[in-house]
Amino acid sequence: MAQIDLGAISVTEANKLIRQYGEAGEDVDILNPDARHHIGVGLTHPITARVHGSAGYFCAGLTDGPKFVIENNVGWGLADNMLSGSVVVHGNAGAIAGVAIRGAEVVVHGNMGSRAGQVMKEGTLCCRGNANFMAGYMMYGGRIIILGDSGDKVGEDVTGGSIYVAGKIQSLGSDAKVFDLPSDELDSIMEFLDRYEIPFKGTFQKIQNSGKGLRYSKIEPRVRNIPFYTFSGESDYWNQKVQEDIHVKAQIGRYRIRGYGAARPLPHLGDIAFRKDLTSAGSDSGVLDRVNLATEVGGKNGADPLKLSMPLLIAPMSYGALSKSTKVALATASRLSGIAENTGEGGMSDEQREEADQLVYQCLSGRLGWNIHDMQRANGLEIYISQGAKPGLGGQLMAKKVTKEIARIRGIPEGIDLRSPSRHPDVLGADDLVIKVEEFREATGYTIPVSVKLGAGRVRDDIKIAMKDGFDYVQLDGLQGSTGAAGNEVLEYVGIPTISAIQEALDALAEIDCSGQLQIILMGGVKDGVDAAKAIALGADAVAVGTGAIIAGGCIACMQCHVGTCVVGIATQDPEHEKRYNTAVEARNMHRYFESIRWQMAAIADAHGYTDIQQLGRGDLVALTPEVAEITGLPYEPGYRNTQPVAAE
Amino acid sequence: MCGIAGILFKGDHRNLTTGQALINMLDGCQHRGPDSTGFALYRDANEDELRLRFLVGHGAEAEQSVESIKGKLAEYGADIISEEAIGATYCFVVRYDGDVQKFSYAMENVAKLVSIGESLDIIKDIGGAHDVDDIYDVHSFNGSHGIGHVRLATESDVKPESAHPFWATGFADVSIVHNGQITNYWKMRRRLEKRGFEFHTDNDSELVAVYLAEKLKQGATLKEALKGSIDDLDGTFSFLVSTKDEIGYAKDRLAAKPMVKFEDDDIIAIASEEVSLNKLFPGMALNTMEPPPGTYETWHR
Repeated sequence: MAQIDLGAISVTEANKLIRQYGEAGEDVDILNPDARHHIGVGLTHPITARVHGSAGYFCAGLTDGPKFVIENNVGWGLADNMLSGSVVVHGNAGAIAGVAIRGAEVVVHGNMGSRAGQVMKEGTLCCRGNANFMAGYMMYGGRIIILGDSGDKVGEDVTGGSIYVAGKIQSLGSDAKVFDLPSDELDSIMEFLDRYEIPFKGTFQKIQNSGKGLRYSKIEPRVRNIPFYTFSGESDYWNQKVQEDIHVKAQIGRYRIRGYGAARPLPHLGDIAFRKDLTSAGSDSGVLDRVNLATEVGGKNGADPLKLSMPLLIAPMSYGALSKSTKVALATASRLSGIAENTGEGGMSDEQREEADQLVYQCLSGRLGWNIHDMQRANGLEIYISQGAKPGLGGQLMAKKVTKEIARIRGIPEGIDLRSPSRHPDVLGADDLVIKVEEFREATGYTIPVSVKLGAGRVRDDIKIAMKDGFDYVQLDGLQGSTGAAGNEVLEYVGIPTISAIQEALDALAEIDCSGQLQIILMGGVKDGVDAAKAIALGADAVAVGTGAIIAGGCIACMQCHVGTCVVGIATQDPEHEKRYNTAVEARNMHRYFESIRWQMAAIADAHGYTDIQQLGRGDLVALTPEVAEITGLPYEPGYRNTQPVAAE
Repeated sequence: MCGIAGILFKGDHRNLTTGQALINMLDGCQHRGPDSTGFALYRDANEDELRLRFLVGHGAEAEQSVESIKGKLAEYGADIISEEAIGATYCFVVRYDGDVQKFSYAMENVAKLVSIGESLDIIKDIGGAHDVDDIYDVHSFNGSHGIGHVRLATESDVKPESAHPFWATGFADVSIVHNGQITNYWKMRRRLEKRGFEFHTDNDSELVAVYLAEKLKQGATLKEALKGSIDDLDGTFSFLVSTKDEIGYAKDRLAAKPMVKFEDDDIIAIASEEVSLNKLFPGMALNTMEPPPGTYETWHR
């Protein structure tokens, strides 16, 4: 048996060794752990690792197959996202033990901290002592066995799975209910306890979802489509759309859900103009050879950066909100244009991975579809904090789209109205986030960039946190960004405009003397190369397009993305509807749209006499409205309103 | 956005100085807050003697500041027993037996007062635990107890004055280190301001300190004050409080911020993470526990 002394080497070096022993099939003894974080993270071989003492945060996290034994206590996030294998802790566990496990067996001989088993999907979490506040919070499946007392609010917002309590149930969470215990389930528990040599006599109370809150009680009526261009109507007040909203609310008695983003007029990139006369821009076909557009993103801390042929990415959109065909088309188009695709929430499909040369893998609060294997085959990892269309809120995926296949990849029950958690189980502040980022880096050997996706709300603070927590780059999403489903009022009124977001971000970096030290990818209503060039001139390092890509790929902007019966086969999981989508053709269409963005960026830079897109600067811009002048600090030059040419093509 | 630590020695048996113990613990959780580090250290008190530490900066600016402080001390009839310049701070020990609250408000208005107390001395600056120790010689401090803090600055600048711990402005010997965010900050602050209390930062940790100190002044025990804080303060928090004779903790009902404690016959040590506690006992498996949500506890020296 191999020995590793954490008194002598760092956890990073130790994890590298543990993985090597894993490949060789040799068990490991870990000495002097002294409650250090991230011990054993990223291990995917079935060896036994014995920790002689206490471990810190995320012990055995992001693993598949190993057996861990910890002789004393563990910190937060024990066995985070563990797919298979087992962990036995002989002392106490901190908060969120067994968070997001997907099949592992976790045994804690002492007590467990708060929110044990949060968002777990499959497997067993067993505690011989007492659990604490909100055990089983938002769990989707698997079982929690508590031999002591339950703690308050056990089973808060539980969706699937079962919680068995042998001691006292101190109080039940909302949506949780006590059920009779079938004898075969008791047998299965006793078999588990025997296997882990835990003596027990007695019985259990079983807690599950009460069956009342998994679907919205009233389904929204289908209404005729109001075209996007009249969406907000002539007036902000009693226009056609507002009336429709009120009619629907009068029937369902709650907020209304729809797709797309804010539809009301907001200050945007269109309110900015280039100072330079661009009449001749794009008339020369040689601009692509004269202007460098190639951009590297995410290399600042030594990871392999994304190598983009131009400062453009595809915005994160989930497989679930979108059909697999659409995700594959996006992946193909990203490869053809030499840019990067992003999985969004809900996991990575093999087809998408094969098609995209560069694929960013997104980690959301529900850890839906998140796992170590896909992390290791991604080109970028991204922690989603929020998005511009709904800052501070989780995603929604209506039951019609939660098919068997989607439920399987996400690890959730089929046919529920899925409301993703609004916050991460293990990120309750910038201090926790540091430790989370480090976990991802440990799991992937510090080779893959780790970014953060921020919805524009409290940008000034968020950007400072992103800088200090060591992210490799930021995806910053403004209010004009879209989503597959969210409450209408949230879409219209919660975030702040994209243009305000980039300005706050730049100001924040300047305030902490870090200007230029954190790459920012701006998104939220970027529709063409002119917008992209303006965003870059303002100070963004690159832009991302989501809605634009979808429209290029066949979307008719009916805003009914949430319904699940998308007539063009994009926002649907129904095979009959998806059949209408011609993946190869739409991939070519998206590719051509991306190429038009490339052309426009190059033409604008060239017309300024620049040889690199990044030479565009704020001095090249003027504000066309007093609002945008106030937001950005650009000079207010209304005289440019009528003279602004658009680059050709 | 930070890490916290506190230690109280129950007797004289110790293998580390109080200062060194806090340095080790804060070094252990420096990843939670690399920007600045601070210590609230408690010595044995001398009757009628007050220790005042000011942030004065360096050079001419410092000299001017020290002159105006001396003027104000004379105005209040405080006799200087000793004085010392160290790092960016200037420390006076004075004999003073008047109303401390009025005195400290007056002192706050001539210079940046970091702490005041018969026993308390707050040392805080930018950098890590060892950086601050290099300047302020924290490791040689060996009083009965102390608390400390590492900070990740997000909402304000990286400056010594925005480092933690905070003392309860106007109240001698009460200090606080806090991890979390008080969401009814302005409501609580306005309530206290109406009663005549002053605030010198917009930091929610200062509010917690003043809130507790006011309860103590009204005659509550530290335990009662902590119990009240769990009811009255909204948000996420795990904090440590210290007075001349006691340390204590309180933890919010949502248990959103970490805290681990270790106690044996010689010490009580509390920190954000067990890794800090293990820094006191390398290589040992400690019998620690995580305080449950909505709880508080105090220990007397």
